[in-house]
Amino acid sequence: MASLELRNIVKRYKSQTVLDNLSLTVADGETLVLFGPSGAGKTVLLRLVAGVIDPDEGKILIGGEDMTDLDAEFRGVGMAFQNFALFPHMTAFDNIATPLQAKHSSQGTIKTGVESVAKLLKIGHVLSHKPRALSNGQKQRTALARALVGSPPLLLLDDPLRNVDAKLRFEMRLELPRLLADRGATVIYVTQDYKEAMALGDRIAVMSQGVVKQLGTPEQIYREPANVEIARLFGDPTINLLDVKPSRDAKGIYVGLSNVQVHLAGAHEAAVGRDCVIGLRPEALAFVDEGTPGAIPVTVEAETPLNEKIVTLARTVRGREILVSRPSGTPGQSEGRAHIAVDSKSALLFDRASGERIGSKNVVNLRSGEAA
Amino acid sequence: MTAATIQRNRPSGFRISKRVLPYLLSLPALLVCIGILIPFFTSVVYSFQRYRLSQPWARQFNWGDNYISFFTDPKFWNTLQVSLLYAGITVVLELLLGLGIAMLLQKRSTLNNFISIMLLMPLMTAPALAALMWKLMTNPGFGVLSYLASLIGLQDFRWASSPSTALLTVVLVDIWVYTPFIMILLLAGLRSLPTQPFEAAALDGVPRSFVFFRITLPMLTPYILTATLFRLLDSIQQFDIIYAMTQGGPGDTLTVFQVEAYLNFFQSTNVGRSAALMIILWAITYFLSNIFIKNWLRLRERARGQA
Amino acid sequence: MEHTSLLERILRGIALALVVIFFMFPIVWILMMSFQTNETILRIPPQLVFEPTLANYTALITGKLMTAAGTLDIAFMRNLCNSVFLSVTSVAVALLLGVPAAYAFARHKFRGSEDIAFTLLSFRFAPALLVLLPLTLYFQKLGLANTYIGLIWVYQLICLPLILWIVRGYFEDIPADIEYAYRIAGHSWFATFRKIALPLAGPGIAAAGLLAFIFAWNNFVFALVLASADKQPVTVGALAFITSSGIQYGQISAAIVLSITPTLALALYAQRYLVEGLSLGAVKG
Repeated sequence: MASLELRNIVKRYKSQTVLDNLSLTVADGETLVLFGPSGAGKTVLLRLVAGVIDPDEGKILIGGEDMTDLDAEFRGVGMAFQNFALFPHMTAFDNIATPLQAKHSSQGTIKTGVESVAKLLKIGHVLSHKPRALSNGQKQRTALARALVGSPPLLLLDDPLRNVDAKLRFEMRLELPRLLADRGATVIYVTQDYKEAMALGDRIAVMSQGVVKQLGTPEQIYREPANVEIARLFGDPTINLLDVKPSRDAKGIYVGLSNVQVHLAGAHEAAVGRDCVIGLRPEALAFVDEGTPGAIPVTVEAETPLNEKIVTLARTVRGREILVSRPSGTPGQSEGRAHIAVDSKSALLFDRASGERIGSKNVVNLRSGEAA
Repeated sequence: MTAATIQRNRPSGFRISKRVLPYLLSLPALLVCIGILIPFFTSVVYSFQRYRLSQPWARQFNWGDNYISFFTDPKFWNTLQVSLLYAGITVVLELLLGLGIAMLLQKRSTLNNFISIMLLMPLMTAPALAALMWKLMTNPGFGVLSYLASLIGLQDFRWASSPSTALLTVVLVDIWVYTPFIMILLLAGLRSLPTQPFEAAALDGVPRSFVFFRITLPMLTPYILTATLFRLLDSIQQFDIIYAMTQGGPGDTLTVFQVEAYLNFFQSTNVGRSAALMIILWAITYFLSNIFIKNWLRLRERARGQA
Repeated sequence: MEHTSLLERILRGIALALVVIFFMFPIVWILMMSFQTNETILRIPPQLVFEPTLANYTALITGKLMTAAGTLDIAFMRNLCNSVFLSVTSVAVALLLGVPAAYAFARHKFRGSEDIAFTLLSFRFAPALLVLLPLTLYFQKLGLANTYIGLIWVYQLICLPLILWIVRGYFEDIPADIEYAYRIAGHSWFATFRKIALPLAGPGIAAAGLLAFIFAWNNFVFALVLASADKQPVTVGALAFITSSGIQYGQISAAIVLSITPTLALALYAQRYLVEGLSLGAVKG
């Protein structure tokens, strides 16, 4: 359908730079998720693409055409707003019909168009209502219907699930990917929820302070986050971060965790002797029997079920807190002294000063280090 | 297919650029106002001229003479004094009265709402017509107020026709017309105040005078300030009531700025002096309105922030 | 306040009664006078009970006043028509000019927009005669003196700032996203202005229009300076009437009643918007 290309976009408000020389390409039919904290510039970026605000510098190409100077009504995109932005003086039907009316479609075409998209989104029964008579969920679906009805080649969805309740968000998270895939449209989806980002994105662009910090598939973002911040944002429970200073011996690079030397055979040379932070995903830690090579002694303090997982809070002998998660129904340890082992495949090393991950690939030896 | 759709939607023919649009929208309003702005500068020029309509041949620049002569001109000092006195008395009295009435009507009830709507009527009466109404009521021959004054022993109370009571009479009309303005603003303010501090004070048995001076008044300050400055700006420029009632008389008892300028222009045809008077009044209002606008903007921001 | 004493309630009642009497009495009294003949008006003490007559109103409306000295022409109906025409046209022009400008100020923070908006607002606070006196001289040269066009133009000094500032506030209250959504749906800025901004700011525009009408109607000094008898509105006309007719107090009262009725009726009709309008939305919150 329509690809999107952003070239060196700069947007300033007064003295503040909201988007700083940002370039991004979205392929035909791809769903790109813009993920990041509020104030990262995600919404501004969407509005630039939609054409309701202008960039100070840079070019916006949709379907290979330069649309930078084109007003919003000529860009042929569909957009759903976080606050829904429904027209309060029009019925849901008229709200949804606006993109079709703009194309001067016939009454019949408009009626069938609106009704089919309303049926798809299960709001057929409230089409005659004004927005103030709709529930939040219905408002959100109406806004989505309005964005979809004209079958725009490029869909911009600005955190559409932000203002709906948890149950509906859960449903929509399952429903949306199918809906978007059926449309075949190119989608830019803004969210602050990492699960939504993982569930919906073909690729995820992690934004912070007006720049894209990392761009990649959900898998890449999760396995190889570009920095500590991204590692922390993705994953629930959050990643364990411990200060370490990798050293090298005959067997390779290792770090000391609670007086236990854990070898990270694939760790990047640059990490040696540097102040680092090691990132260990809770699911990459497992309880093991005492005496297992590389086992770290801990004290189990608390255990909490979290969705389909069980999360254990443990404390190392040095007093550092560590979260360990395991699938429900698997054996674990609920209190007292225990030992955990690191699946060092997924251990991540970050530079402590800059927060950047050290080395492009942190290939780690299958066999974890041995107790010294 | 998509490319075609986009192509078809391309703008065609006449199109207004985004940058030009806002100027285009506001241009007509601006043009109309600029036409009216020119006389302002003309006034400045006139104020530096010796210019009498009756002696157009003698028109010439005398630079600051019009202004300098004010210093030694008792008529000017009278104008300044009466204007300030009028503005001061009306604003203070209207503020006190308006606050009192607003507090009487604070509780929402059908009667109170009805009364507050009734009180809009004087405010919506044209000030010039209001002055005529009071003129009829204070007519020495048959006026009901003159009759009432005689009942309480004020025989031959002459209201606006006597220099000693003329100011009192026009102030009374001003109060009649404009107190509702302050009342309505303060009532809106009072009713929008949060109730918790008052409930807490009532529970603690805090004396009511303390509640009034320490809670009500400070919280009401933005409203009081807005109302005061609005009224001050209008009052120092009052023309309608005074002119309709007495034409500035008797004698020059009530020759406030605008009345004096009007008389100078149309009766003594002294354009230069008239313009200089207006420039001085403008300077006073400019000074006041600057204070006003600054405060007002801040309050507006705050109100928006809270919303 | 459950501990309000009886005494306090009585005092409050008395105070309220005094307030109502003070503010309502003049209107009621003039209304009564307008239904009285000159003889009843001149009687002392003033009469509360009298035989009402419509003679004053008929005299005004027919424009002929029969007196002992003969027939007197009254031009008052013409003044009333002038008031209606001047106010309605001025408000219409002000809406036509002011609403788009208000929209521009609200939506596009263009260079100098705040300065321009403030300049326009400052008209609200500038002494009227400062501009009016030189304007009379210009108007004479331009042939605009004593014309409706000239008056309507000058009336913009009252109507435009009012409309501009009130309506601007209403436009600002419309979330920008709603307008963006309509643009993105494929509509031009003009369609968006017409179909989204105007309907949503509708109540505000109506209120501003009503208030501007009241202010235009009540204006005195503009027409006093710039219009002669045949173009004068009621405010100036009534004053001239009082001077010329001398002792026709019944007709004068009737004239005043007719002159203040439209604004009072509008005010009562639109009272809930008045607070905001009167303070130019100053204490909106």
